Amino acid sequence: MSDDINTRAEEPQGVETRPSIEETTAPQKGKSPWLAALLGLIPGAGHIYSGATSRGVALLFFIPTMVGLSFWRRHVAEINPLAGISEELLILLLAIMGVVYIWSIWDAYRTAAGRPMPLRLLLVLGALVTYIIGWDVTEINLQKAVSEIGDVIPRLSQLAWPWDEAFVRGVEVTEARAPVEVPCDETPPLPPEEIPGEPYIMVSPTCGEESGPVSPTGQRQLGTELQVIGRGFRPGEEADVIWRDPIGNEYRPRATGEVVKVVPNENGSFAFTMVIPSLIMPEVAEGVQTHYVIVRQEREVGELRPSRNLLLALEKMAETIFLGLMATTFGIVLAIPVSFVAARNLMSGSTVTMVIYYVVRFILNIVRSIEPLIWALIAVIWVGLGPFAGVIALTLHSIAALGKLYSEAIESIDPGPIEAIQATGANPLQVVVYAVIPQVIPPFVSFTIYRWDINVRMSTIIGAVGGGGIGFLLMQWIKLSDYDAAGIAVWFIAITVSILDYVSAQIREQFV
Amino acid sequence: MLRVEHLTKIYETGTVALRDVSFEVQEGEFLVVIGLSGSGKSTLLRCINRLVDPTEGKIFWNGIEITALKGRELRKVRREIGMIFQQFNLVKRSSVLTNVLSGRLGYVNPLWSLINYFPKEDVERAMKAMERVGIADKARNRADELSGGQQQRVGIARALMQEPKMILADEPVASLDPVLAHSILGYLEEINKRDKVTVICSLHYLDLVQRYATRVIGLREGRIVYEGTREDIRALTDEQFKDIYGEEAQRLGSITGEEAA
Ligand SMILES: Nc1ncnc2c1ncn2[C@@H]1O[C@H](COP(=O)(O)OP(=O)(O)OP(=O)(O)O)[C@@H](O)[C@H]1O
Ligand SMILES: [Mg+2]
Repeated sequence: MSDDINTRAEEPQGVETRPSIEETTAPQKGKSPWLAALLGLIPGAGHIYSGATSRGVALLFFIPTMVGLSFWRRHVAEINPLAGISEELLILLLAIMGVVYIWSIWDAYRTAAGRPMPLRLLLVLGALVTYIIGWDVTEINLQKAVSEIGDVIPRLSQLAWPWDEAFVRGVEVTEARAPVEVPCDETPPLPPEEIPGEPYIMVSPTCGEESGPVSPTGQRQLGTELQVIGRGFRPGEEADVIWRDPIGNEYRPRATGEVVKVVPNENGSFAFTMVIPSLIMPEVAEGVQTHYVIVRQEREVGELRPSRNLLLALEKMAETIFLGLMATTFGIVLAIPVSFVAARNLMSGSTVTMVIYYVVRFILNIVRSIEPLIWALIAVIWVGLGPFAGVIALTLHSIAALGKLYSEAIESIDPGPIEAIQATGANPLQVVVYAVIPQVIPPFVSFTIYRWDINVRMSTIIGAVGGGGIGFLLMQWIKLSDYDAAGIAVWFIAITVSILDYVSAQIREQFV
Repeated sequence: MLRVEHLTKIYETGTVALRDVSFEVQEGEFLVVIGLSGSGKSTLLRCINRLVDPTEGKIFWNGIEITALKGRELRKVRREIGMIFQQFNLVKRSSVLTNVLSGRLGYVNPLWSLINYFPKEDVERAMKAMERVGIADKARNRADELSGGQQQRVGIARALMQEPKMILADEPVASLDPVLAHSILGYLEEINKRDKVTVICSLHYLDLVQRYATRVIGLREGRIVYEGTREDIRALTDEQFKDIYGEEAQRLGSITGEEAA
């Protein structure tokens, strides 16, 4: 009976149709197009039946996946009005998938008859659905990108030209401090003693409660109000008010959003009130803690000098470059022996060496597929925060990456000289030294420089996860919104990378 | 001196490159192996110094069974058999001197050789070998700066460093022009005659074969299909040559037009 159907379905074969771009031309032997179409009600099943397995499997996954994704995005929209797709878009997507579904049934029929359809329509529709969903999932919002660009321009300009902050004059500091205990107990501290001629402040009361955290409604429980009076400051010059916690962190309390500042009168005296700010204390800090209120006047004196941030950035940049250097060096030294045992042409001698080859290759592939940043996270657990963790992370990744590149360089060398040296009666080590090494030097040099390049770039960001180098500083400055300092770091990175680019191009020219 | 018995080579790909090949070579012979491309000439030469491991059969070299040797023993035999290649197989980035000295690797202290140190006698020997083939002035050049003919002469000097009892030459002149071909084969002939070094050489052109061979073996599809003495080859006509060789047979002269017989 199925034979019967088959013969009938083959009839249109005789009709001249445009040759399709697809593989099969002969009808699938013994496959019934009608049965294929029927099976095609399950997407892809008809194709698999007709022998077009890869097309069938693709449809089997693609159609349900896209339908599922469409419903998911609609569901997201119902929970969060800012994401997901509208009802109309869902219907559109389902309609397109419906077309694809009908197409797939028709194509299953035609495949069984030996005349599969061209893939063009399917590819266009599939891409359309994929990109509509992709646009939504990644929350692309061009309107936002344009309308809020204003916010980023000041930051960018700070990043672009941070040098005003890079050099500062020396400062003459006039400051005085007074203790405050939080919370109160039976013995609040005494105000400090006044030394004649020195600046002096007194805070009362000398103990109190901190402010509460900001509630979701923007309200907060204010802490104890402190009365601060001071004497002996430079008249008329603005002074910063600073809160110093028991750990030694200093920050500037804010009142109604503005940093608290005070200007002494012509006698150098002042009085103001402030509220004990919300204190972020570590869990371990229990009981009464002594904090300080500090009033500080700073005045620039003398020559321009490099700022603390500039020096810090320089120091960390040096650390970064050395980090890259050490990791590259260790990477090379370890990758070279590894690459020899990972080269097929050198290891194809016996079963034992082939097993070593496969094991080493496998390990290299695994190590290489794990990003340096993830290695850094692991190394931080291993040896703690700091540049050593970065060295370990980059070394591991370099060994794997260089090991692979080197071994491929070894694999692509000319076997002729190897045979020639073997024919002289040389031993295997001599063969490596006389026939292999001279041939692999140029590719090794160029891969090594390329890796050194990557390692310095990587070491600039590996600090972000605690692996040392300038990355840590950069992350911290960005978190603290210190865009000037961050700008200095960015500049240093850019300068270093460009110098490196230039140098490596020069070296490569020399050797290759 | 060299006896090949029932040699068969089947590559892992399944190609049968040699089938039951047997022959003997006497000391001082200049044996030429002819045959179409793919007939198994290279495979045969490579089996002799075990660059290729034969599938079946035995090779005896002055009573030693080469086919049974391993490691150090094999290297000892290899150093007595020089080899010259069609593609010269020099280490291109190394100096000519280093290439020539590398012919000595089977003899020198292996550790010293790893840091490229060779005894004074060997350096002198290398200079003599280079003088003999006329490339002494190129000693310090990189090998790839030399012309093809010069590179093949470096190959000969390298083989000479082995103080070989036999030289295997696998189409030594196939990438060279006719004039150079004669010059290179001239060196081989001189080494053969003066130093009594046995030569086994594969060649393509009838006139070269007739000029240099003392004996010829013809291979076709891995079998020996012809064996001839010096006199036999001299008497060979183009027609007979084509018979052994197949339709592609040519005289060197017939391509260049200068030396046509
Ligand atoms: N390493 C190898 N692996 C598999 N097959 C090989 C290998 N080397 C040679 N062969 C095959 O063995 C046969 C003989 O090759 P061989 O190189 O010995 O021929 P030849 O006479 O030297 O040819 P030519 O004149 O082209 O150099 C050929 O069919 C070739 O394809
Ligand atoms: Mg060959």
